[in-house]
Amino acid sequence: MSSQVETRPEVVADPARAVELVDCDVHAQATEAMLAAYLSPGARRMLERYGRRTPRITEWYPRARHSGMRVDAWPGKPGHIWGSDPELTREQLLDEFDVDYAVLEVLSGQDCHDHPYFAAEWNSAVNDWQLEELLSFDARFRGTIAVPHEYPELAVAEIERRAADERFVAVLMPASTAEQLGEPKYWPIYKAATACGRPVAFHTGGYVDHRGAGYPSFYLEYHVGNGIVMQSQLTSMVAGGVFEEIPGLRVVLTECGVAWAAALRWSLDAAWEPMREDHPRLQRRPSEYIDEHVWFTTQPIEEPDNPEHLVYTIEQARLSGRLLFATDYPHWDFDSPRQALPRALGPELRRAILCENALALYRLPRERVV
Amino acid sequence: MDTIDCDVHCAPASYDALFPYLSDYWRQYITEAGIRLTGLAHAYPRAVAAPAPSSYAELASEVLVGEAQFRFVILNCVTGFETHRNPYFAAAVASAINDWVHEEMLARDDRLRASLVVSTVSTDDAVAEIERVGEDPRFVQVLLPVRSDLPWGHKVNQPIFAAARERGLQVGLHAWGRAGKAPTPSGFTTTYLEDYVGNQPIAQAQVLSFVSEGVFERFPELRVVVSECGFAWLAPLLWRFDKDWKGVWREVPWLKRRPSEYVRDHFRFTTAPAHLPSDPVTLGQLLEMMDAAGMLMYASDHPHVHGNSLSLLLDQLSDEDRQRVMWENAAGLYELGK
Repeated sequence: MSSQVETRPEVVADPARAVELVDCDVHAQATEAMLAAYLSPGARRMLERYGRRTPRITEWYPRARHSGMRVDAWPGKPGHIWGSDPELTREQLLDEFDVDYAVLEVLSGQDCHDHPYFAAEWNSAVNDWQLEELLSFDARFRGTIAVPHEYPELAVAEIERRAADERFVAVLMPASTAEQLGEPKYWPIYKAATACGRPVAFHTGGYVDHRGAGYPSFYLEYHVGNGIVMQSQLTSMVAGGVFEEIPGLRVVLTECGVAWAAALRWSLDAAWEPMREDHPRLQRRPSEYIDEHVWFTTQPIEEPDNPEHLVYTIEQARLSGRLLFATDYPHWDFDSPRQALPRALGPELRRAILCENALALYRLPRERVV
Repeated sequence: MDTIDCDVHCAPASYDALFPYLSDYWRQYITEAGIRLTGLAHAYPRAVAAPAPSSYAELASEVLVGEAQFRFVILNCVTGFETHRNPYFAAAVASAINDWVHEEMLARDDRLRASLVVSTVSTDDAVAEIERVGEDPRFVQVLLPVRSDLPWGHKVNQPIFAAARERGLQVGLHAWGRAGKAPTPSGFTTTYLEDYVGNQPIAQAQVLSFVSEGVFERFPELRVVVSECGFAWLAPLLWRFDKDWKGVWREVPWLKRRPSEYVRDHFRFTTAPAHLPSDPVTLGQLLEMMDAAGMLMYASDHPHVHGNSLSLLLDQLSDEDRQRVMWENAAGLYELGK
């Protein structure tokens, strides 16, 4: 656990220096009032009269302290909440840790049960706010395109609206959706993202409804369960033939852990082998699709007692080119860039995780932007 | 080598086989409604499994003959896992299955042990069934499907564990269950492959539940045996479980140790399906990370077939470790072979 912020002298940015640190999961969050400013009168009226109708999973599974955020991430400014003040994010994350790029994942639009046209406007407002308040505020911020994912036609329109702006580096979807991620329903979103050269980042959250074991009692189970949810969703994408249908699709599994990937690869391959003729959509071993199409962000990276074991699993799952460093600022379980990656990984792999893999995936400039 | 096979299936061929153990009311209910005992036809479709032995003669010819080294075989009848939602019917069928297993199997061969099945829709009925037949030492554990409406560790389910421990029984969690309920957080699957592999994430959620709810603080002698849900996922799950617990321990104040320590003391996993890497170095790493020799118990999972991973696993183990997996771990857990 590395939620302590260390103090150190102010860093002076050197524009000539090459990029060294890309943070692939940073949360900014607008208040309702901030987003309302971007809505049409009709959508604003809907918001004022009915609010967000979508169930809030944070209410069923309350987070231990401070709504699950770092206590120092709650700004004193009136009208602000955690993640809504770009100056504070710059101070606590970009400057403090010398982050070269911070990929924002604004989760405000992720829930499943909004009216389609409200969902479209709401997500568009998220993107407008992101653009005006963050991407225009500091060139180190990079955005992800929030979409009304349960309404793929509307989602595609939003992707196309934002595609020309290179500061948006991915399309954002929740890990928990009304149907499984491999369902053809969602393929238009994947196709639109791929067509404009963006990966699709699936972030833990959304509306986690049916569960094979039923609803757990505690946030502890829910939170560890984020990795379990993603195993189901990755299984669905592979078995559903998504990667055969969209050969250029790149997906980023965000905030769901990484070390489970090896076991899932073995299991899918072993299960597929005797049934391969029954899955004509799969031309290759399931693990080959994972190797080719799937990236993982690190936070909250698993912490075995013996750090060598983490090295084993990264090798077993062939993840060395697929791991993307993430702090998850400003969440309580923030992984510090200085501490989260064990030395056992070695300098080359650490550098790949901290920077190189993300530069390649998101096609970011290698030179520092200041 | 002395062996305990911890997961061998048996199943009545039809409701006719259970009729001697059902009341007139339920015989009529079944007959008039035309209810058929399909077993878990979707869980074990024709493509991947032969039918489970439905008589002692079949069991003997398929499993016991020529297997002189089997000191004990533990029978799991999953027939009742997902037949219906009527709690009264579920209780009657569970009782009938236990009586059938006893008369058809256990009474005919000293090597046989079995899981006791219970209603999975009513805690009261499950407890009553454990009280009814749980004193018989040939029933060694209470069998629960890994898929559930509420995770099994939940406080509403804990009377089952109290009743089990009063009679020296352990708990078995076995793949499948809950037809009609989507098995994933995002709904139904479209292929058998997803459903089959999908038992593994569900088992992981059950591990979290048993530990988080403090079941093992309340029942320190309870052991949970997970069958047919794999095990290669265990070590990474525990790394994350421990990490999260360090942050939010206040939510589960009854836990006195790290989650992984409860799992290592209280959970065991049967070896089928193993779903392992074929490379011996990688396999060796995996076995080391999860302490395979301490955590695994041999199972053939007859009549289900899961590929050749089991022989890879057994070949990799030292003689001493193989002995633990084939015999000692299960003998200690079920108190067999004294």
